[in-house]
Amino acid sequence: MMTREEIIKTVNDSLMKEFELKPESMKPDANFFADLGLDSLDAVDMVVVLEQAFKVKIRKNYEVGKIMTLNDLYNYIENLVKENG
Amino acid sequence: MLDNKNRIVITGCGSISPYGAGVSLLTDNILAQKSSVKFNEELAHIQDLTSLVSSTVPEIDFSYIPRHFRRSMSKMSLFAYGAIQEALDTAGFKKVPGGVSLFIGSTISSMQTWLDFSEKFKKQEFDTIKTTVIFQVMNHSPLANMAQAFDLNGLGLGVSAACATGLMNIGLGYLAVKAGFIDKALCGGTDEYHPMMTGCFAIMNAASNQFNDNPDKASRPFDSKRCGIVCSEGAGIVLLETLDSALKRNAQIYGEILGFGTNTETKSISHPSKECISRCMQIALKNANVSAQEIDFINAHATSTVAGDIEESKAVFDIFGGEVWTNSLKGHIGHTMAASGALELISMLDMMKREKISGTLNLDNIDEQAASVKHFSGVKELKINTFIKNSFALGGTNCSLIVRRFKQ
Repeated sequence: MMTREEIIKTVNDSLMKEFELKPESMKPDANFFADLGLDSLDAVDMVVVLEQAFKVKIRKNYEVGKIMTLNDLYNYIENLVKENG
Repeated sequence: MLDNKNRIVITGCGSISPYGAGVSLLTDNILAQKSSVKFNEELAHIQDLTSLVSSTVPEIDFSYIPRHFRRSMSKMSLFAYGAIQEALDTAGFKKVPGGVSLFIGSTISSMQTWLDFSEKFKKQEFDTIKTTVIFQVMNHSPLANMAQAFDLNGLGLGVSAACATGLMNIGLGYLAVKAGFIDKALCGGTDEYHPMMTGCFAIMNAASNQFNDNPDKASRPFDSKRCGIVCSEGAGIVLLETLDSALKRNAQIYGEILGFGTNTETKSISHPSKECISRCMQIALKNANVSAQEIDFINAHATSTVAGDIEESKAVFDIFGGEVWTNSLKGHIGHTMAASGALELISMLDMMKREKISGTLNLDNIDEQAASVKHFSGVKELKINTFIKNSFALGGTNCSLIVRRFKQ
């Protein structure tokens, strides 16, 4: 199973590549919209990118819409990875 | 009586061509008689395809376009961005003024994006498609993307008229500014190359197939050995405004548009006819209130197809006789599709200013059936004043634009 550090690295690498974000902006409390400059289209594409990176299906999970910061996302993915064994 | 408020001038030009970015680069290479056509390895792997040449834009780094805008752009929109930026720069706009209108189209939306999209759909991988793909396959994708990227909040019209798209958009922009309906318009066309483009023309036996080993010679309008189109890509944009507006801004003026003509061939979906082309040019002359005798240069559509070049030659002869210098720039850059009308117009404006005009490249032996008009090769020092620019399209759309060297 992936460690939290591995999850954080995979999330950050995926989002930095997809959204051309700088490493210094990837702070755990960074808000996707206010701090990272993403918008509603990016939010949908983020789901696509994460599904491919972690080989999971999250598009239909209502909880995804509540994720606002990187740390929220790390926690969400960590739980998902645990649930999937 | 025309006053400065209904005289329409071109005050900005932008080009992304198979030579690279910039109007000067386009004209420099045309005047240097360089062909941009190359052997295309990708085409060689397509079974039974006989045309193995194309003309494509060299690698340009478009990462300077903010990601927020770039994410929904396929190559044709990236090209359009480069051309619009240059048109605005040359027009002297450091900041885009409010209310600018946009007339831009492509022959088809991004083929590569569509293929990737349909592949995922077929494989039941629909949920891996990103939202920004949608904006690359819309029919008016370049229009939508450019409006957002440059905040062009006036009229937006994305007319698609196959190979006449660029000139059609310029003509419609001209009419709208002249009517006083809009103030300023960015107009032109853009297209990105895909091997399927060559394939489409090859199916109709209209893609160049006798010079695969000698690509420089593959596009040869009016020549007796011409054997079809060389597909190409790029973007051409002009900025139109009233003379009154241009003079108030002290803008440089590339030329004045005197008139526009357009009509539709209904005898054949694929073959233009002398009669319909003639009528189109006559419509333009009438619209411009200019006599045929006032035209001192003809920039032909001539794509290097067997049938099309002959019909256009005959139509030109019928209206202008055989003493008006005529060229086609597709021998140099191939057929840049939706961009062709705009790119060729832009290069003609630049050559008119330099008073050096290129003839048709690879015109080694003029086809007897196209010989009635006055062709030339190489570069001539010519001071032309009023020229007509033609663009015709599969599907029957014809366009002609009449442009004059600016005089007060």
